Amino acid sequence: MSKAWAVWRKELRDALRDGRTIIAVFVVPLVLYPGLMLFMGSIQSANEKEEKELQVRVGVFGGAQLPGLEEKMRALQGVSTVSLERIPRPIDAAGVDAVLVILPGLESSIARGDSVKVELLYKDSDHKSSAADERMQPILDEVRRELTVKWARSRGASAEAAPAISVEHRDISSKEETGRFMAALIIPYILVFMVAAGSMQIAIDTTTGEKERSTLETLLATSASRSQIVMGKCMAVITTALMAGAIGIFGLWFNFSVLANLMPALSSQSMQFSIHPLQALFMLVTVLPTAILLGATLVAIGCFARSMREGQTYATYVYMASVFLGLGSFRQLGTPPVQRFMIPILNTALLQREILTNTVQPMHAAITLGMSAAMAAVMLVIATRLFSNESVLFRT
Amino acid sequence: MIEVLNLCKTFHDRKKGDVPAVRSISFTCRPGHVFGLIGRNGAGKTTTLRMLATILAPTSGTARIDGMDVNERPGEVRKRIGYLSGDTKLYDRLTARELLSYFGELAGMSPASIAGRIAELQVSFGLGDFLDKRVGKMSTGMKQRLSLARVVLHDPPVLIFDEPTSGLDVLGAREVMRIVQDLKAKGRTIIFSTHIMTEVERICDEIAIIERGSILAQGSVGALQKQNGGGSLEDVFVSTVGAVTSDV
Repeated sequence: MSKAWAVWRKELRDALRDGRTIIAVFVVPLVLYPGLMLFMGSIQSANEKEEKELQVRVGVFGGAQLPGLEEKMRALQGVSTVSLERIPRPIDAAGVDAVLVILPGLESSIARGDSVKVELLYKDSDHKSSAADERMQPILDEVRRELTVKWARSRGASAEAAPAISVEHRDISSKEETGRFMAALIIPYILVFMVAAGSMQIAIDTTTGEKERSTLETLLATSASRSQIVMGKCMAVITTALMAGAIGIFGLWFNFSVLANLMPALSSQSMQFSIHPLQALFMLVTVLPTAILLGATLVAIGCFARSMREGQTYATYVYMASVFLGLGSFRQLGTPPVQRFMIPILNTALLQREILTNTVQPMHAAITLGMSAAMAAVMLVIATRLFSNESVLFRT
Repeated sequence: MIEVLNLCKTFHDRKKGDVPAVRSISFTCRPGHVFGLIGRNGAGKTTTLRMLATILAPTSGTARIDGMDVNERPGEVRKRIGYLSGDTKLYDRLTARELLSYFGELAGMSPASIAGRIAELQVSFGLGDFLDKRVGKMSTGMKQRLSLARVVLHDPPVLIFDEPTSGLDVLGAREVMRIVQDLKAKGRTIIFSTHIMTEVERICDEIAIIERGSILAQGSVGALQKQNGGGSLEDVFVSTVGAVTSDV
């Protein structure tokens, strides 16, 4: 085993002196993420500012039936109105962003007790039109209230000084709860993604790279056995993968909890993002078999590939498969069926979500760990066999 | 001691079917001697040496290295050999010291014995100023000297050199030959493949001319020259190999 550790140490040392590994393991999670977050945050702030300053023009058809309505509309910030004689089709033909339609015969319909419909025509596909819809929400509430008062009066009720009634949505989640929800949603996916990204470069470099750089023969002629060499290489890949995963989580925590609070441009994205040490430990345990599985798979691919280019192409397929399986956890609402915990990588992401939301079911954990460990063992055997097979190792 | 007994290697090719690379070759090399394997490119020299180094498994036949069978105890064989090929490279991102330590660990040496041996090799191979320099920044000659130091680090009794002077300039090649002669003088068993006849004449005690996987002629340089009616070793080689190729 000491020879496997020697290979492990050498491969890690070698990898940590390779710019590509540094970028995948350190730069991407610690620099690229904050950079992207900052960029996205500043775009969001700019959009919000632009939205506030946006001037929208709303056409009103049949507005005379509700006296004072257009005045109230003009009182809204950034809204100008125009009375229309007919309903324009399409609405932009009239040079407006939205049209409020109050069909004729409103009073008589109410008096008869018929249903009344007032519509705001807008285009969700158009940014300005969509903004007009948003601005008009208080006016639509007001129209609803006024029509109700009219109906009450038509029925002889006294509706003087009718109170303003508002029905609102209010998110009462604390920042901590939002943070926990987001963490449970994002972390499992990011972890899978980072583990795959972190292991890709080193796995191909330590196998196909040895072939391409003509260092493989030297290694094979040493007294280390093929299985010791593969074990050492796999351990180095797994270490890098875990390192990438841990740094990825740190990068997320840093962005959401620290950077977002420090930078005004990102303040809207800040949330309390905490992981209990025990949860972190469980997550590490959960991700270990997946890291072994991915590491061994990529090492096996590296043994099989004839060139770095071929190896990287195959590795990209594994990476994409991991990303898609990880994405599957995003789509999973509620408790997943047991069968999902048999699918490698997806099962890890689902179990990690349970860990983060303190809803771990022992059966799910057992299936996930058992399945991942079994698959990892199979891939390790395959990697060792491929590395010991001279027709694979020396194929041209 | 190297004993090669009816060693064969056949590769399988999807299009060509079975391709014999080495056909039942046998020879012996004793300690303190250099055995030269000479042949054209693709004659089977590298495949033979790779089988001796247990990098490839023989299809049939066997070889014993320092008494250990390559088929039965490949791990023990690798402990007893130092293998160097002119094509093989070193790890560019490691320093010379790190590289030697790595191969020392793989040879099962203790940290103390690795450190002691590096200190010895630093002097005998002139690695002084380069020991803490990364391999990628070294000259070709320096890399080859380091490769040779790597090969003898664990002091193996048997040394396998596959065209070790390939790609080196005159001075670099001369340095390699000097080191091989030193090792011979220390009683190591050396097998040396090349197609440079002057190298063979200088250091080999016995040679085998290999062509299409078979040994066509074997003996000392002098004996082969005598059999061929005098002339240079190059003449011997050309007439031996030419006789076979003209038969086809």
